[in-house]
Amino acid sequence: MNTTIPLLELRGISKQFPGVKALDKVSFAVYSGEVHMLVGENGAGKSSLMKVLCGAYSADEGEFFFNGEKVAIKSPADARKFGIAVIFQEFSLVPYLSIAQNIFLGREFPARFPGMVDHARMHREAKKILDLLGLDIPTKTLVHDLGVAQQQMVEIAKALSQNARILVMDEPTAALSDRETERLFVMIRQLQSEGVAIVYISHRMAEVFSMGDRITVLRDGKKVASLLPGEATPDELVHLMVGRSVDRSYARNFCQTEGELILEVKNLTSANGVKGVSLTVRSGEIVGLSGLVGAGRTEVARAIFGADKVTSGEVWLHAKAHRGGPDKAVAAGIALVPESRKAEGLALIRSICDNLMLPGLPLAFPSRLYKAADARQIASALIDRLRIATPSSQRPVRLLSGGNQQKVVIGKWLGSNSRLFIVDEPTRGIDVGAKAEIFALIDQLVSQGAGVLMISSELSEIVQVCDRSYVMRDGRIAGHLSREQLSEENILKLSVHHE
Amino acid sequence: MNDSSIAVNSPTAFATSLSRVPGVAWILGLLVLTFALASRDFLSGANLLNIGLQSVILLMLALPMTLIIMTEGVDISMGALLTLSSVVLAWVLAHDGSLMLALAASIITGLVFGLMNGMLVALVKMPPFVVTLGTMGVAQGLALLATDGQSIVVSNDTLQAVYAGSLAGIPQTLLIGAVGYAVTHWLLYHTRFGTYVFALGGNPDALKLAGIRANVYLIAVYAFGGVMTGLAALILTARMSSGHPTAAIGMEFDAIAAVVVGGTSFEHGNGWLFGTLLGVLAVGALRNGLNLLTVPSSVQVSCIGLLVIVALVIDSFKGKK
Repeated sequence: MNTTIPLLELRGISKQFPGVKALDKVSFAVYSGEVHMLVGENGAGKSSLMKVLCGAYSADEGEFFFNGEKVAIKSPADARKFGIAVIFQEFSLVPYLSIAQNIFLGREFPARFPGMVDHARMHREAKKILDLLGLDIPTKTLVHDLGVAQQQMVEIAKALSQNARILVMDEPTAALSDRETERLFVMIRQLQSEGVAIVYISHRMAEVFSMGDRITVLRDGKKVASLLPGEATPDELVHLMVGRSVDRSYARNFCQTEGELILEVKNLTSANGVKGVSLTVRSGEIVGLSGLVGAGRTEVARAIFGADKVTSGEVWLHAKAHRGGPDKAVAAGIALVPESRKAEGLALIRSICDNLMLPGLPLAFPSRLYKAADARQIASALIDRLRIATPSSQRPVRLLSGGNQQKVVIGKWLGSNSRLFIVDEPTRGIDVGAKAEIFALIDQLVSQGAGVLMISSELSEIVQVCDRSYVMRDGRIAGHLSREQLSEENILKLSVHHE
Repeated sequence: MNDSSIAVNSPTAFATSLSRVPGVAWILGLLVLTFALASRDFLSGANLLNIGLQSVILLMLALPMTLIIMTEGVDISMGALLTLSSVVLAWVLAHDGSLMLALAASIITGLVFGLMNGMLVALVKMPPFVVTLGTMGVAQGLALLATDGQSIVVSNDTLQAVYAGSLAGIPQTLLIGAVGYAVTHWLLYHTRFGTYVFALGGNPDALKLAGIRANVYLIAVYAFGGVMTGLAALILTARMSSGHPTAAIGMEFDAIAAVVVGGTSFEHGNGWLFGTLLGVLAVGALRNGLNLLTVPSSVQVSCIGLLVIVALVIDSFKGKK
C-alpha cells in the first residue's frame, strides 16, 4: 500500500449557490486505511464537500485525483465507480421496502429473467451484513417499522454492502445508543485495517480525537486547518472551527433556592411505552431527562404535552390537575421543543416571522385580526433577542442553519407566556458555537422563572447544564441524580442494566 | 404465477397485507352479505360470473393506477383515454383493419398518452393531477372529433370471440384480467422496476443517490398505465360491439376508488396490489348489487364515494391501534 499517494484527492474545489459560496477552493486528501475527521460549524461546508465527493453535487471548479490519476466525479454513478459510499445523516431509505431491498437499492441482484430481482440471494447477503453489525432483525422487515436508531444502522449496512474503498459518514452516531456506537467503531477499525479510507463528519469532540487519524477543519466554505489529533486540544480545535473562543463548559449559575413547583407528574403511563413515570420540575431549574436512545424519554415529553394518549397517572401544573391534548397544554403554558425540529418544530417553507408568531397569535392579536406589520415588529424584536442570524424576518426557515432553526423553535414559545419548556435533544446536529448560544437561551429562560425539562443523549450536556437529572430505562425512571451526584458515569450506570 | 409465490417471494408485502386485510375484506364481505340478503339473484353463479366479467375492465385500469398512486401521482385521464382507445379500435375495425392492427392502434394510443403524461410529470415537473386533467380533455375531445359524437358500430367475429369465448371452460375475459394481474404483480414485487416504484413514492432522493435515473421509471409507470388502458379498450369495445365517444367517462373515479379502498395510500409509496384486486371486486359487487336492486347509476356514484370514505375511516381507526 502506497501511503505517499492519497487514495482520493480533491484540489481547489469550489461550489457556488445563489448568494452563498458553499465551498471556496477546498483541497482535501484521504489516504487508504485512515479515518479522516471533517469538522466545522453548521454551514461551514462539510455537507457540501461530502455531496461533491459522492457526486450528488457537481463542483463548479476543481480537480479530482484517484490513486494519483486525474478523474471526473459528476454523478453518484461516477462516485460509485471509484468505490465511494456515503452514510447519510438525512435518511436515504425507502419506508415500504424491506431492509434487504433498501440495502441493495439500485444494485439488485439479477435473476434468470432480465429485470428480475433475485430475492433469495438479496436476503442472504443482507443477513450477512446485519450479522456483522450485530443487528438481529429479519431482513424482510419494512424500514417503516424500524426506529430511528435501527434505520441509521440500515443506512450504515447499506454503505458497508458496497465494499467501499472510500466510506463517507455524516454524523453516523447522532441517533445511536452507546452500545451501537461501540459496535460501529469496531466496524470502522476493521474496515480501516482492510485499507478502506474513511471520511467522518462529527460534532462530538470525543469521537474526533479517539477515532481520527487526521482532522480537517472547515469554516465558511474554506479549509482552515488540517492536522493530526496530537497537534491540538479539543479547545484549540473548537477555536479553529468557530474562529472565536467558546467556553465549552456552558457555565451557568446553578439553581440555589428551591423554586415554586411548576410540574408534577405522578405515575404517568402512556400507550406509547411510558410506564409509571413520576417527576417534578420547579421554577428556575433545568431538569435533565437522560437515558439511552429508546428508553422512553421522548415518549414522556409527548405524554406530558398530550401528544400521546395517557392511559393512567396524573399531570399537575401549578398545583392544578392538567389533562388534554396539545391545545390544552399550550394554553396551560407548556412549550415543547421537539426532537425533530424539521418535521415537528417548524413550518419549513414559511418565514421566520410566521414560525415565531404561530403559538403566540391569540396573545399578540386578541382581536383575532392578523396585522402583518405588528407581527413583523414582534418577530424582529424576538430575532434580536434570540440573535438569529438572518437578513430579514421574512426569510424562509428552511434556509437557516440548524442552530438558527433551533432558536426559532425555542423562540416561538416566548410569545405565548410559557412557563414550562420541554426541550428534546435541543442541540442535535448543531455546531459547538450554536450549542453554547442555545444553552445560554435556555439559561435565560430559567433565570426568568421558567422551568425546563431537558432531554439529551449527550451525557456531557446533562452533566454540564442540568441542576439535577432523572435517568430513564425501559420506559421507567431508573434513578434521580442531584447536582452533586451528576456525572457521566453515574448516568450511564443507571441507564444500562448494571447493578 | 400462483398464490404461493405471493407468500414466499414477497413476504414483506404479505406481512403488510395481513395487517390490512380487515379494511377492504370487511367491506367486501359486508357488501356481499347485504346484497345476498336483498336479492336472491346476487349469489347465483351467473351473476357472480357477471361481476367478474364487469370488473375486468376496472381491474385493468386499477392495476396501473395502484402503481401511479404509489409514486404519489394520479391519472385522471384514464377514463377518457379508455374511451379514445376504444374509438380508435372500433374505427380501425370499421375500416377493414384486422383485429391485431386495431389492437395495436389502441395500445399505441394508450402508450402515446401514457408517455405524454409521464414526461410532463417527470421532466416538466408538473403536478400529476393537472397534467392528466389536461390530457383527459385532449383524449375526450379527440374521441368526439373522430366519431362526430356517434357510435362506431363493429361486427367482428374475432372480437366477439375474445369477449364471449372461453378457454378450458374459463371465460377469456377473466383470463385477460388474471394475466393482467399476474404481470403487474410480477412487475411490482419481482423486478427492479417494481422496487423503484416503491422508492419513487417513498424516497425519490434515495433512488437518485443510488445512481438510478428515477425519471425513466416514473415515465414508465405512466406509460404502463397507457398500455393497460389500451388493452382494456379491447374488452370494452367487444362488450359494447361499438366504439362510443362517452363509453368510459368517469371510469378513473371507479379505478381510484378501488385502489384507495384496497388500502394503497397516496403517501410514502405504501401500496398493496392484492388490496386493489379486492377493492375492484368491492366496487364491482357494489355496482352489480345496486343494479339488481334497480338503483339508478347516478346514486351508484354516490355509493362508491361513500365506500371510499368508509374504507378510509376504517383504515384510520386501524392505524390508531
